[in-house]
Amino acid sequence: MDHSGAPSDGSVVRAVLSGDVDQFSVLVRRYRDRYARYATQMLGSIDAAEDAVQDAMVRAYTHLAQCREPDNFAGWFFLILRNRCFAERRRTRWESDLENIGEVAAPEQTESALERSELVEGLQRALQRLTAEQREVFVLKHVEGLSYEEIAGRVSTSVAALKMRMHRAYDRLRELLEAP
Amino acid sequence: MKNREWNNQVKQVLDGDRELESLSPELRREAEAARRLLLEAIDRRPVTLSAALEARIMARVRGRATARWPRAWRWLSAPTIPRWAMLVPVAAAALFVVFSRGGQQIDRQPQAQAGQRDSVYVRFELYAPRASRVALAGTFNRWDTASAPLVRVGKDGMWTVTLALPSGQHQYGFIVDGRNWVPDPAAPTVDDGFGRRNSVVSVNTINGRIL
Repeated sequence: MDHSGAPSDGSVVRAVLSGDVDQFSVLVRRYRDRYARYATQMLGSIDAAEDAVQDAMVRAYTHLAQCREPDNFAGWFFLILRNRCFAERRRTRWESDLENIGEVAAPEQTESALERSELVEGLQRALQRLTAEQREVFVLKHVEGLSYEEIAGRVSTSVAALKMRMHRAYDRLRELLEAP
Repeated sequence: MKNREWNNQVKQVLDGDRELESLSPELRREAEAARRLLLEAIDRRPVTLSAALEARIMARVRGRATARWPRAWRWLSAPTIPRWAMLVPVAAAALFVVFSRGGQQIDRQPQAQAGQRDSVYVRFELYAPRASRVALAGTFNRWDTASAPLVRVGKDGMWTVTLALPSGQHQYGFIVDGRNWVPDPAAPTVDDGFGRRNSVVSVNTINGRIL
């Protein structure tokens, strides 16, 4: 239990592994939305993100015995979801996702927000044309606000490699956004 | 397509590794353009998935748990149900999924309009003497980093903005100089799921109080 009285991830994982399947719903409630924005940005639509989170959760349950650090279920689940997002990107062509971008990108048209909404939408479209690795580093750093060091820890890559990936993403985005 | 590459110093500014002020005027203009094009156009609105998601996941999880039982035991213990009768709960579940998906996406109703009558003015303050600009982004403005800039008050480094917020709990943060996300030191915080903290303000419009 933590200070709020809620069971820790570790104790929930152990309860599920000992046969109390319904306890898995605690983890589902706890983490279903935590990485939703990441998945949405990676896949280009909320529907695709929802499918990915659902599959990742079921996969986490199926392989729960392989979770070496039950108290770090969140980190382990993130890696499963990340793999799912990358697999999905390999499976589908980016063009098919562009039809769904408006769902992610279209903010409310308030006051003089039209110009900003066009910029937001343009960036969303351009992000979907990066490689999955470039898009991920951009999303984790600039959308989720992680530092390069934090990203490197999560995805097991060096900071130098991440920066190189990001700098290529900057150039590619410029190419896409400033194209006539 | 013409190859367009940002100057390396501009990329370092985008990374947060270099101050804008350290650049030459020409590069500074390029860096400001890069920020506008890339960083200020980022959609940081939180995403909430369908309310029915948990039920769907748990249905699949329970199905897998059942599948682990020995087939012979299931055959012996399962009640005999006509095939047509099994279609009833399946159809009901499908209808539930179809109709529940209508409201699953991000709430697109403009919150400011909805709260015009029942809102409370909340004053946000941040002490940031070295900042050249500060903005407020949160669930109440869809994490828009441009819609709620703070104004510097006097010369002591205090920045402030007052917003009308509808009743409810709101998460927010300050953006200093367009790139540094800073939680409100005067408010409680919650984990944003990625190791950072969002500040939280709860507004009770019935009593006109901030909780």
